[in-house]
Amino acid sequence: MSAQNARTSSTMQSSEWDLVMTRVFDAPRELVFKAWTETKHVAQWWGPKGFTNPVCEMDVRAGGAIRIHMRAPDGVVYPMTGVFQEIAAPERLVFLCSALDDKGNSMFDVLSTVTFAEERGKTALTLQLRVMKATAAAPQYLKGMEMGWMQSLDRLGELLRSISRMTQ
Amino acid sequence: MNDRLSETFGALADPTRRAILARLASGEASVTELASPFAMSMPAISKHLKVLERAGLIARGREAQWRPCRLQAAPLQDVAGWVDHYRRFWEESFDRLDDYLQELKARDSKSKAKEKKHVRTKRKD
Repeated sequence: MSAQNARTSSTMQSSEWDLVMTRVFDAPRELVFKAWTETKHVAQWWGPKGFTNPVCEMDVRAGGAIRIHMRAPDGVVYPMTGVFQEIAAPERLVFLCSALDDKGNSMFDVLSTVTFAEERGKTALTLQLRVMKATAAAPQYLKGMEMGWMQSLDRLGELLRSISRMTQ
Repeated sequence: MNDRLSETFGALADPTRRAILARLASGEASVTELASPFAMSMPAISKHLKVLERAGLIARGREAQWRPCRLQAAPLQDVAGWVDHYRRFWEESFDRLDDYLQELKARDSKSKAKEKKHVRTKRKD
């Protein structure tokens, strides 16, 4: 199982990953970990700007299932499923995520490893992504999603413009 | 092929193959030239080249006897485009997480302040 190999590799270098992202959050590690593992919190931030998560279910244990339906500002729903492979609170989370098409087939599977490191009261988060599978539909899916949130930014721009007109 | 992106990602997952592609980015090369930086047998190098060829990442000349290898950029662009979209997805999510954490922190300190006040009023009684 390649998913297993990627995780247990002892010489893990960033070059083994397709994408590595880091971000420092001004919050204690326990809180950031909580925000990733409690659905009432996850539903508040998962997905691009303007998205909501009408379905957000997580069984937070190794082998536990993840089910999230993201709803774009234009109303399109993007379902995804996943499974947790490893949970080491509050340091590490490993899960496999799949985006589903309208027939429920996976368009891409991404293995995500999230590491939470304490940094003087702040939390350095590292997200390592390994693409396990990606079909020809995968780029279209993400492009569609991006259109959804770009529109929401446009809408915000419009709102700001109309407000500034009113206050002039 | 439906799974072309997967194949590209699979081909890119190996450091030797990435090194071969990096070499080809500066121009076409023969198999012998490609093999020279590696402590690897020719059949092993040929195997890597076959994977790259199947993924459409390289093409091999038919005309010349030495059959030079050439980089084919289109699948790389597909992968780069996909990765770029996915990165943006996460950046957006991180922005929201950042805002939300500040909200949680504020809520937390407010409830703690309330608790203290509560204890204080209790003592007065």
